[in-house]
Amino acid sequence: MEHLIVGFQDVLNPATLFWVAAGVTLGYVLGAIPGLGKATGVAVAIPLTFYLAPAAALGMLIGIAKGSAAGSAVSAILLNTPGEPSSAPTAMDGYPLARQGKAQKALKMGLFASVIGDFVSTMILIGLAAPLASYALLIGPVELCAILLFSLTFVGGLSGRSLTKGLIAAAFGVFFATVGLEAETFIPRLTFGMLELDDGIALVPIAIGMLAVAEMIVQAGNIKALDVESAQISDGASREDRVVLASEWRRCLPVIARGTLIGSVVGILPGLGASVGSFLSYGATVRASKTPEKYGTGMIEGIAAAESADNAVVPSSLVPLFALGIPGSVIAALLIAAFILHGLTPGPLMFKQQPRLVADVYAAMICASLIMLVIGYNGQRLFAQIIRVPLRLIIPGVLLLCCVGAYMETGSVFSIYVMLFFALLGFFARKLDFSFVTFLIGFVIGPSLELTFRQSIQILDHQAVNLSGHPIAIVFILLTLATVWWTTRDNGRTAASQQRGDCGQTDPTEAETKHIKKGG
Amino acid sequence: MKHSTEKHTTGRHLLGAAVALALGWTGFATAASAADDYPTGPITMMVGYAAGGQTDLVARATAKVMSEQLGVPINVVNKPGAGGAVAARELQKAKPDGYTVLFQASTVINSAPFIMERVDFTPDDFEYAGMITAYQVGLATQKDAPFDTLAEFVAWAKENPGFSYGSLSPEARMYMEQIAKKEGLEANIVPLKGGGDMINVILGHQVVLALSGGIHKKYPDEMKMIAALTTFRHPSDPDVLTIDENGYELGMDSRTTLILPKGTPRPVLDNLATALKAAETDEDFKKIIAAANIPIMYFDANGAAKEMADSYANNKRIMESVGIIQK
Amino acid sequence: MRHANVVSGVVLAVVGLVMLFAVIPWQIDPGPEGMVSPRLMPSMMMVLIVALSAVLIFSNLRRADTDAPEPAMPFTWSELAALVKMGAVFAVSLALYLFVSPLAAGAGLVIGSLVALGERRLAVIVLMPAVLLLAIWLLFYKVLGTAIV
Repeated sequence: MEHLIVGFQDVLNPATLFWVAAGVTLGYVLGAIPGLGKATGVAVAIPLTFYLAPAAALGMLIGIAKGSAAGSAVSAILLNTPGEPSSAPTAMDGYPLARQGKAQKALKMGLFASVIGDFVSTMILIGLAAPLASYALLIGPVELCAILLFSLTFVGGLSGRSLTKGLIAAAFGVFFATVGLEAETFIPRLTFGMLELDDGIALVPIAIGMLAVAEMIVQAGNIKALDVESAQISDGASREDRVVLASEWRRCLPVIARGTLIGSVVGILPGLGASVGSFLSYGATVRASKTPEKYGTGMIEGIAAAESADNAVVPSSLVPLFALGIPGSVIAALLIAAFILHGLTPGPLMFKQQPRLVADVYAAMICASLIMLVIGYNGQRLFAQIIRVPLRLIIPGVLLLCCVGAYMETGSVFSIYVMLFFALLGFFARKLDFSFVTFLIGFVIGPSLELTFRQSIQILDHQAVNLSGHPIAIVFILLTLATVWWTTRDNGRTAASQQRGDCGQTDPTEAETKHIKKGG
Repeated sequence: MKHSTEKHTTGRHLLGAAVALALGWTGFATAASAADDYPTGPITMMVGYAAGGQTDLVARATAKVMSEQLGVPINVVNKPGAGGAVAARELQKAKPDGYTVLFQASTVINSAPFIMERVDFTPDDFEYAGMITAYQVGLATQKDAPFDTLAEFVAWAKENPGFSYGSLSPEARMYMEQIAKKEGLEANIVPLKGGGDMINVILGHQVVLALSGGIHKKYPDEMKMIAALTTFRHPSDPDVLTIDENGYELGMDSRTTLILPKGTPRPVLDNLATALKAAETDEDFKKIIAAANIPIMYFDANGAAKEMADSYANNKRIMESVGIIQK
Repeated sequence: MRHANVVSGVVLAVVGLVMLFAVIPWQIDPGPEGMVSPRLMPSMMMVLIVALSAVLIFSNLRRADTDAPEPAMPFTWSELAALVKMGAVFAVSLALYLFVSPLAAGAGLVIGSLVALGERRLAVIVLMPAVLLLAIWLLFYKVLGTAIV
């Protein structure tokens, strides 16, 4: 504790604070720009940190990571182009709200949920890093495989309108994830002789193509209708449309608490990542709701659920890094390099060897949370104006940024080809109502699922009986079965009501606009 | 990104070019620089791994020192893919003028061709300006494991058939398969992806032994090494025998190497080698490298070329002897 | 949607079968003895897709006789037109990238999509790419000190 006070003394000086604030701002802006995201942000900022003092450098990097996780909600809500898969569930309810003229309300809720999720998760990191990390070690490949299976089924069941189509999309996601060198034998799979595919298809160009480029093309096709609609949007005409009301706070707080818990747990476990966190939280909220059919039409709880979990993942993914030296996420892996550069080797020894620097990092993380609130709160008013800009001026800029973001991932034009291929796929998936979101989850989880499955076979010595030594895995296998049963039962019901709803809809143009609002 | 020179021009003259573009005119003057006044402009240093890894760290630290020595900026650009083979192939397409270099583990040339079907580099396909650090590859286990040497491990493994071994690559698999074949062991080989995964399964007691690319040195209280898989003993564990000393002739080396396109003029290579040598004694560089526990082992241009040819021949012999490649 | 579902179900089933019997055996080696085959996971997914496509086709065929009125096509013509237009813009931009320079490609992309979306004011067409590219250059080369291309 006394270390933490010293830490604050180190951080609370104009120079350090400036760099933390600069990191948060940069991250928030990068996150808010469609096509650019947190991994890009931290990666490009690493060289910068060579020249800064350790506390300032690490504070800045963490600021970028936190800021971009919060900022990614902005483009999701305003343009329906989530910068990364993890904010795709934010768009599901955020974009409809923005089109209803409640952009500021949606942005504020997104920001508050982000900051709360992030702050609580930071506290968990500070207070419980060491004990939690030793529990995380109990999760070996066998357990992880069961958890991944559960996550995939749970999220797959979310696609709602048709379980069959949702599962097809998820299967394609896992299938595309198998492209590249197979982890065990190094035998190339489906690479068609292209070395660029040996490490698999990078997630960032796929996500940008499916989420942003495809959405821009659909919007370009409906540009007239959307521009007429934009002209009618009186952004935040009344106060109720601009602020989060007390009644909404009451509805959202339990949702945020659950999202934070889910995000923190997901962050600690290796190989899951922010998108699984935000989808699990969104799904759990829909499941728990009394009116699940309203989700996707502008429910503010949807934003709260997705954003709180998305942001809670960032600090808690540092738990295994700080306590054990194991990077739990892309960000954590990037931070390792920066830490080492500044003489801090992540791991248990770090607390003994450099207690002061650790305290500095903690203090910087807390400051970053609060700075994020200030910057986001002022930024959202500015960003909300975007909604009134005609689309023909927005789309070219977004497309350019998408190309930059995709290109930077591998530094080659091959990423652009990947982005375009998946944009085409995303376009048809949107129009034919295949959930591109379940596709992405399948793609994200796919490699870990296959690897842990192979590892499990070896660790269990090829005998299913040995599973009895892994009670956690058994629990999750049972949960998976329960989810399958639950989803098929529920979907049977909604399919029946869906059919009745379809029959009532006779006006194709009305159906079409509604479809656009839902974002596919 | 067809030519490296174009790349540099892009950055500097973007402003002017933006104006030019507005007028509908494109095209950049690419000044060819003579080898003797090299370098006159910024150098692009490609790294064939993603940002944030051990090699990327060394590359960025090296770039900083070399940039001070040469007096021009060095931009580090990550081109991950196929263990560096994507970046190496891109390097082959670059002009051999010294303005595009690749900072990569020597494995991309001395071992990738034997492991990956579609990689067919030979040491003669590139020029080398030098080598700076070595990877301390070894077999690592938990600190409290009941064996301290490879011989003790073999004795233990004979009592405990069906143990799990963590493998990061076909080479890692090959080591265990060779030892198991010779000693009659029964091993379950668990595939791993990356160093982080390796730490996880060792600390979590999921496997008893794993191949480590050097990361185990960061966990002196939790892990120990029982055999070095290099041809030399590791500077940080001088008492641990190498695999060759244990009677299995399987030791293979890899070092971070400054690789250039074939045909790069000799003065350019020597210029770069001199700048690289400065890293050996640079305080900041040593600090960063020491924090990551990576030994500095400098070779100049001639030394690097010889080391690359020797290690290529050595690895080829090993791969042939164990049947991974046909003679 | 029903008609579209049947059609996409058939297309997906065909894709799945082609993958399963042609592309996977052609592009993935069976792998060494005694290890899990590298083909296992992709094949499993394709079997799943073929099976689910069959479910999709039959469940929609069975429901077809409820003859509810539905839009004839899941796409509007303007959406398909946008897809073609944007595809052309990207093609031009890629050609500029490969044969001229990355900068020209960026400008081409912005100008092309502006024109394709119906922007005709010369000032906007000239200023927007200049401002955007300048902003990107400032952000990455000056503020962040990293080279993109």
